[in-house]
Amino acid sequence: MAGLLKKTTGLVGLAVSHNPHERLRNLYSKILASLQTMPQDAAYRKYTEQLVGERFNHVQTEPDVDKLENKINCGQIEEVIFQAECELSLARKMSEWKPWEPLIEEPPNNQWKWPV
Amino acid sequence: MAASLVRFVRGGLGRSYNLARSACVLQQQTRLQSSDTSPTIRPKDAVAHSQLAAFGEFVAEMMPKYIQQVQVTCFNELEVMIHPDGVVPVLTFLKDHTNAQFRNMIDLTAVDVPSRQNRFEIVYHLMSLRYNSRIRIKTYTDELSPVDSVVSVHNAANWYEREVWDMYGVFFANHPDLRRILTDYGFEGHPFRKDFPLSGYVEVRYDDEMKRVVAEPVELSQEFRKFDLNTPWEVFPAYREPKEVAPKLEAGDAAPEKK
Repeated sequence: MAGLLKKTTGLVGLAVSHNPHERLRNLYSKILASLQTMPQDAAYRKYTEQLVGERFNHVQTEPDVDKLENKINCGQIEEVIFQAECELSLARKMSEWKPWEPLIEEPPNNQWKWPV
Repeated sequence: MAASLVRFVRGGLGRSYNLARSACVLQQQTRLQSSDTSPTIRPKDAVAHSQLAAFGEFVAEMMPKYIQQVQVTCFNELEVMIHPDGVVPVLTFLKDHTNAQFRNMIDLTAVDVPSRQNRFEIVYHLMSLRYNSRIRIKTYTDELSPVDSVVSVHNAANWYEREVWDMYGVFFANHPDLRRILTDYGFEGHPFRKDFPLSGYVEVRYDDEMKRVVAEPVELSQEFRKFDLNTPWEVFPAYREPKEVAPKLEAGDAAPEKK
């Protein structure tokens, strides 16, 4: 639908998406599934579930692309798709890195003291 | 504003002493005319400060494994101090997370502080176009331990890391092409280290007999002198440390028994 009216996003390397709702639904459900593997109290899971859930809700309730862009308020829908792709790759890497664990090593004494 | 513009024009055109003097008088007059006498102090932007502090806390909560310290400087710059193992995770997180989107690498450099156990501080400057904000990531290393290269995250880091390798001798693991970038062919040493002499180790000159440029060890006509480089002024009055107070003797100890 959007492709009929919209010729370009005006951004280099970012093509117009013809089925943004389907793509976003797909990506968001993948992100949520990958967040399920993390521990419940991980801050990354908590905040990302909240953020993605909010956007997922908008995508499911709002069929009009322009209004959806306004509701999400993070640029054009193609940019939102790009952000979701990045978030998905990040979520998969995060479950590998496990950054919610406690600090691996304290800094040496006076490492961050300034002026020296 | 207009007066200062006039002053600039007069100062630029007037080469002679008289003109300069009249410009000086003009300056004094404008200073007298202005009513506010308060000193020029940088205004505090509490909103930006609290926003940055909140974002710093958010990042620290997200990745407690790697982040050692978060601070907002007096010029409203967010600084995140991380463990060297966390360079790639933290930068990837900041790049890919929807609430951060720090997709541009502005700068990567190092600082040499020889008195520390880990003498090199590696500094990453990132920018988020989406949220119009900047962040500074700092980590540390010494001469031998390598730091993970972030070329896989930010392509712009490629030449910056080569530069840091060239100037400081910090080794970046997994860098695709870690070569010298700024120094001359056959150069030895890392010139930005604090223990690198100011005059270098070799000097080059054109040799007429050999018809080429030759490099020779530095010979100085004047002997090295020892300079006292300590400034007489107090440079960081805001960071003044309390002087160590001599431990007070307690009343009972003050008068030892005499025999």
